Amino acid sequence: MSIIEVKDLTFSYDDTKTTIDHISFAIEEGTYTTIVGHNGSGKSTVAKLLAGLLEKKSGSIMIDGLELNLENLSKIRNRIGIVFQNPDNQFIGSTVRDDIAFGLENHCVPQPEMDGIIEVNAERVHMTKYLDHEPSRLSGGQKQRVAIAGVLAMKPKILIFDEATSMLDPSGKDEIKRVIRNIHKESSLTILSITHDIDEVADSDHVIALEKGRIAMQGTPHEVFSEVEALRKIKLDVPFSLKMQQKLAKRGVQVGKHITMEGLVRELCQSHSNM
Amino acid sequence: MGNITLGRYIPLDSPIHKMDPRAKILAMLLVLVAIFMPAGWIGYGIIFAAASLTIIIARLSFTFIWKAMKPMLFMLVFLFVINAFLLKTGDPLFTVGSFTLYSDAVFQTLYIAVRLLLMVMITTCLTATTKPLDMTLGIEDLLKPFQKIHVPAHEIAMLISIALRFIPDLIDETERIIKAQESRGVDLKEGKIMERIMAILSLIVPLFVSAFQRAEDLANAMEARGYAPGEQRTRYKVLKMEGRDYILLFGAAALLAGMVWLAYFR
Amino acid sequence: MPISFEHVGYVYSKGTPYEYQALKDVCLDIEEGKITAVIGQTGSGKSTLVQHLNALLLPESGEIHILDRVIKAGDKPKHLKALRKEVGLVFQFPEYQLFEETVLKDVAFGPKNFGASEEEAKKRAKQALKLVGLSEEYYERSPLELSGGQKRRVAIAGILAMDPSILVLDEPTAGLDPQGTEAMMKLFYELNHTYGKTVLIVTHDMEQVFRYCDRVIVMEDGGVRIHTDKDTFFSDPEACRKMNILPPVLIRMKELLKANGFEVADDIITEDALADCIARQVKKHG
Repeated sequence: MSIIEVKDLTFSYDDTKTTIDHISFAIEEGTYTTIVGHNGSGKSTVAKLLAGLLEKKSGSIMIDGLELNLENLSKIRNRIGIVFQNPDNQFIGSTVRDDIAFGLENHCVPQPEMDGIIEVNAERVHMTKYLDHEPSRLSGGQKQRVAIAGVLAMKPKILIFDEATSMLDPSGKDEIKRVIRNIHKESSLTILSITHDIDEVADSDHVIALEKGRIAMQGTPHEVFSEVEALRKIKLDVPFSLKMQQKLAKRGVQVGKHITMEGLVRELCQSHSNM
Repeated sequence: MGNITLGRYIPLDSPIHKMDPRAKILAMLLVLVAIFMPAGWIGYGIIFAAASLTIIIARLSFTFIWKAMKPMLFMLVFLFVINAFLLKTGDPLFTVGSFTLYSDAVFQTLYIAVRLLLMVMITTCLTATTKPLDMTLGIEDLLKPFQKIHVPAHEIAMLISIALRFIPDLIDETERIIKAQESRGVDLKEGKIMERIMAILSLIVPLFVSAFQRAEDLANAMEARGYAPGEQRTRYKVLKMEGRDYILLFGAAALLAGMVWLAYFR
Repeated sequence: MPISFEHVGYVYSKGTPYEYQALKDVCLDIEEGKITAVIGQTGSGKSTLVQHLNALLLPESGEIHILDRVIKAGDKPKHLKALRKEVGLVFQFPEYQLFEETVLKDVAFGPKNFGASEEEAKKRAKQALKLVGLSEEYYERSPLELSGGQKRRVAIAGILAMDPSILVLDEPTAGLDPQGTEAMMKLFYELNHTYGKTVLIVTHDMEQVFRYCDRVIVMEDGGVRIHTDKDTFFSDPEACRKMNILPPVLIRMKELLKANGFEVADDIITEDALADCIARQVKKHG
């Protein structure tokens, strides 16, 4: 069953421009989906619409069998956790502990249960050592880990990352990507990540590429990346292995389409030694 | 920032630090009222002794109190000059030309100086020993009874705690914008009036823009995590009054009662 | 050498419990007419270093030679404006410094502060906007209603309009999409190659360093760990990894090919050259 079903969704910030233009897609429970597209393609808007932070103009959004409307809003919010781009502007508590507690307080979790929940979820993002730290003493990557623990603590079914790594340095990016991958591996959570990171896209189950508020392409990373020309047309990056494959083809060397370097080199090796 | 001592939290380990913020806030209010009782010098002597004892138990230094007091000195000198010219009661102390200084001018100023000193001592005992977050929790709890007359206790507390959380970030942001505009040739120290106005605008506009951006992000983050103002929520930090908190409250109440007796019933 | 550091040290919040030595005994010469990348982990001192280049921060020890000025520790230098005009510093997320009603006015703000007449300032603003690829239709628009990428272009134009001979940029591509990043880097390359500006870029993006920069400075723990030319730097990917720097994808591909028995010459630094090299070897066996 699809946990997210979007049908004919439209949205605009003002009347002059349509930001989301009649899009439909479905996301299966337990999958890892990435949404790509250049800045201004509407991808963050989709995330905010799904989390009920923006109000759609027309169309429908079904989350876990519930129609997203004012009536169901708080039920749906319980099912969706979202981690935003800016690590500073989503840290609400004055310490890590207080920040994770914030969502629990909102969901009326009884106070005696909170410490246990906080500790379990801090452990999932390896922040147990920092529970009493203030945000000013944490790195960007650590702050994002706290944000993840904060939403995990609310036991959502869907986790949305809205460019959660784009303001981090390389080690922070790796840190967060590793945490996301581990969460996906050890739980049945559905993950939706809005990203520019080509390695993260290659790692996902399903890719949706947006362009001017419409879905330009979607499929497995292999399917989407194979359309090198179409990707270029919507100004998206192509994995290095596919660029090489094209360049090699021009030089009369035919190899399969690989989305990782390792795959490409493996095939090259076989033709190198076998022939 | 480094040299502002008034109102700053000093992380130490003392019995006063461990006390319930509600008890501390209430005790402070009681003693503040006591200071305003016309209890005479004996009364002030007793309050001073009590405040000094609290400072010693809280392991704060008297130089810290002195530093907090310093900015007030200018005000006191100013007050003394005014009193010297206006108050012509009491015994004449000395005369220079047509000007005579009377004893009441000196006593009045001293009175105010002592009250001010006592107030600084008492409020510092609270702010230096209470974490900002605990302070807001205390205020929230104390305001709760007033919710019946529509005082939004929780919202006020949330407002204060978010302000406290973001003040350091906004200070950093301000420094960054100052540097960025200095790189564009802005000179905040010299220049003609018009240039000065532009210089200040070049700081204020970006600061507002980024503060609004921050506010929007924060509102989204809070909403996405289920926060809705006015709705029922539980609280992680629970305050609990213990024996020592009752002792503090009892002490403060006794002090006030003593001052009332000294002032009106003796 | 337009800029050289001699034993420069800098301490934040001196005399408080938060005291923190951000630069330690930095000796450094920045070459004229090159694009230099400043890399290193967060907290390694990169931003502190670049803020010394236009005297926003003054050294606590040692001295800095910037063009014809000498700034010694303990000096209280005056008339820094002239220096700041020559060394244009673009802060991280510079879109947050826009404040004027129109794009043109905002870009003209810098030149005006440095004493250009209204007319002259506008002329330079127009040239700068053209350089960053914003056409006339943007002149009268409010900078606050542009897209993120456009705002950043306006902010960079604001520095370019001052016509500095040295351009220093602190993570100019942070938060941009791949296409925006590419366009931005091409602009810096053009400023260097066509207009002869010395460019210094603080960045985490090794792909951009590899493609556009001439020199590499690696900061570590407040000091300069490595200062060398780009090709030398990337010729030892293992050393990069030891410094927590992921080598560019082309270098990683070369490593992988070598590990699998291909012969790959060290001087291959473009995708086409690498494709030639692979094709030759595959065909030889075929």
